[in-house]
Amino acid sequence: MDTGTLLAIENLRTYFYSRAKRAFIRSVDGVTLGVARGETLGIVGESGSGKSVTALSAAGLVTAGPGVISGRIDLHSNGTRRNLLDGLENYARFTEQDGRVMAVEKDERGWRKHSERLMAGVRGKEIAMIFQNPRSALNPYSTIGKQLVETIRLHTNFKRESEAKERAIHWLERVRIDSPGLRFDNFPFGLSGGMCQRAMIAMALSAEPSLLIADEPTTGLDATIQSRIVDLLAQLKTETGITTLLISHDISVIQRLSDRIAVMYGGTVVETGRAAEVLAPEATARHPYTAALLASIPSAETIRRKSYLQAIEGEVLDTIEVPRGCRFYGRCNRVTEAIRENCAGIEPPLAEIAPGHKVRCWLYPAAGKA
Amino acid sequence: MSRTILEVTDLRKDYSQRRGLISMLTGQGRVIPAVDGVSFYLRENETVGLVGESGCGKTTIGRTVLRLTDPSSGRIVFDGRDITTLSRAALRPLRREMQMIFQDLDAGLNPKMRVRDILREALTVHERPGDAEIAGRIRELLEQVSLKESKLANFPSELSGGEKRRVGIARVLAVRPRLIVADEPTSALDISIQAQVVNLLRDLQKNLGLSYLFISHDLPVVELVSQKVAVMYLGRIVEMGLAENIAHQPRHPYTGVLWSSLADKQNTEVSLRARSGVAAERERRRNWGVFDFEQPASGCRFAPRCPLYKDKGRPAVCTDPASEPQLRDVGHGHVVACHFA
Repeated sequence: MDTGTLLAIENLRTYFYSRAKRAFIRSVDGVTLGVARGETLGIVGESGSGKSVTALSAAGLVTAGPGVISGRIDLHSNGTRRNLLDGLENYARFTEQDGRVMAVEKDERGWRKHSERLMAGVRGKEIAMIFQNPRSALNPYSTIGKQLVETIRLHTNFKRESEAKERAIHWLERVRIDSPGLRFDNFPFGLSGGMCQRAMIAMALSAEPSLLIADEPTTGLDATIQSRIVDLLAQLKTETGITTLLISHDISVIQRLSDRIAVMYGGTVVETGRAAEVLAPEATARHPYTAALLASIPSAETIRRKSYLQAIEGEVLDTIEVPRGCRFYGRCNRVTEAIRENCAGIEPPLAEIAPGHKVRCWLYPAAGKA
Repeated sequence: MSRTILEVTDLRKDYSQRRGLISMLTGQGRVIPAVDGVSFYLRENETVGLVGESGCGKTTIGRTVLRLTDPSSGRIVFDGRDITTLSRAALRPLRREMQMIFQDLDAGLNPKMRVRDILREALTVHERPGDAEIAGRIRELLEQVSLKESKLANFPSELSGGEKRRVGIARVLAVRPRLIVADEPTSALDISIQAQVVNLLRDLQKNLGLSYLFISHDLPVVELVSQKVAVMYLGRIVEMGLAENIAHQPRHPYTGVLWSSLADKQNTEVSLRARSGVAAERERRRNWGVFDFEQPASGCRFAPRCPLYKDKGRPAVCTDPASEPQLRDVGHGHVVACHFA
């Protein structure tokens, strides 16, 4: 397996302007992540943590009027490196004050045109996506087969209708859709939610992309169907070795499919490392937020004793009024007097506490040295 | 032993679906039995969990027992009174004793009213307390759901998900109910907030002696909060018993599948090995047909997806239209509807 980096996100900031609140929503606020070839990176976080916006930014899908992006997203493929945000900064001008964006002037049309140019040949071909609600992502007026054939003819060398159709049926088979020959002619409304998700996965993979972005692929499906979709993703991963950026709020899904994990909170990555290390129950060196998140899920022990769940007090951070210090400070239960001042006043750096395991927290001495 | 607050006997709720010109003209449409002969009871200060996949009729049961929709047949007895056919007017005084928490966080929160007015309205629906009493009750409600007093002036749109849920619960508590049907009370919330709400609901039960019908697809949470759990499949209860037995010694193959699909997702061990091909069980499950609740199988409705049915070499009794398995007691009040349990 080639272990080089496929996607490198560097200091990504994606802000949206809220007219109602007259302020910037700092959805993604300085995220740096790398996805190595062949690995699955799982991003876990609650709603508003910026996990989906990170993915949308990488796919060039943040086109909404007030959305502004800065940073770098490098895609290494076919021996070249492309910055998917290259030149976008020319279309927006930021006014900053103590490192905070106060105002933005943006050439909306130029931005969109340029973004489309950057994404041409990338989105769908190099980077394919599957979404939370498969039925709404499929075209309701066209059969599953037609949509698949269209993707295949557009993105691969199977240009003739007949070979593309053969290929489409091959992909329906690979995602374990029963009687693919018949399903080929079904419309999305004729398929169950699980089947639609399978069809979506087939469509995404049929373009033979380098990177698959799976944004909450199991959310909204029934429990039994969820586990089958997770099974399918695990199998396809072994069979195709596709590099995946997996986004989910469901820790169990992330745990099962990911090689490495990034935990996001309030627009930043608070912990990242190998899956087994970040989520290992016995590990003590981990971010208080990750620990609290894991503790708030009922464990066998909690259920047996019928004890209280360890809830994280307070509310999920809104990314408009970002505190000066650690973003989790207000809800953290592990602040000690020795570090309180730092926690409240200075945002901790993402520091390496073990090889490949980084934590953004003042509790770990390595953070002080970084 | 505490008394029974809710008893449901052979409850049915059919929805008819009329499609196309011919069925419209002839008045014949397909009838979909959303709830198909369900019986259970709920004791005071107890929680019964109702689990199953979407479309199995969980929510319909919740709505029907509160008479928010009328049952097609069956009997609903609330606190010793048969409410199955009570008129709207006769039901009205009973409404305050039985309330529902909806899945939708915004349900019941008028977007144009401030939290204070939402609570005031709930307090004055059934009685006419004085201003001082209202203020006192509002304070009490805020305390019960641990909501800051400063939120009273807010509109629902200014609240976070967890706060909306708390206001929704306060509104329900305003009428001092005894039975609460909680329909997926946590599913719209973030994980870190879910635990807060689960703890809150359990506290309220302890302090106020509430009885819950707890509808959810979140199996660990159901197991945690419920004394008894009923597992539904396509409109029927297929297994019911003590929560720990349902979770750890399921007798019905469907219950086993539900809980194991959860364990599967969590089990990294398994998944690491999945890459080199796991148990035959997994393979079998992948090969299930897709279920269709408009055309339930004859005989046992779970047979088409049942791992046991395939293991046993497709016994005829499972698909015999004359012998749909009935719930029978397998000891300790644990009931199962399976020929092989």
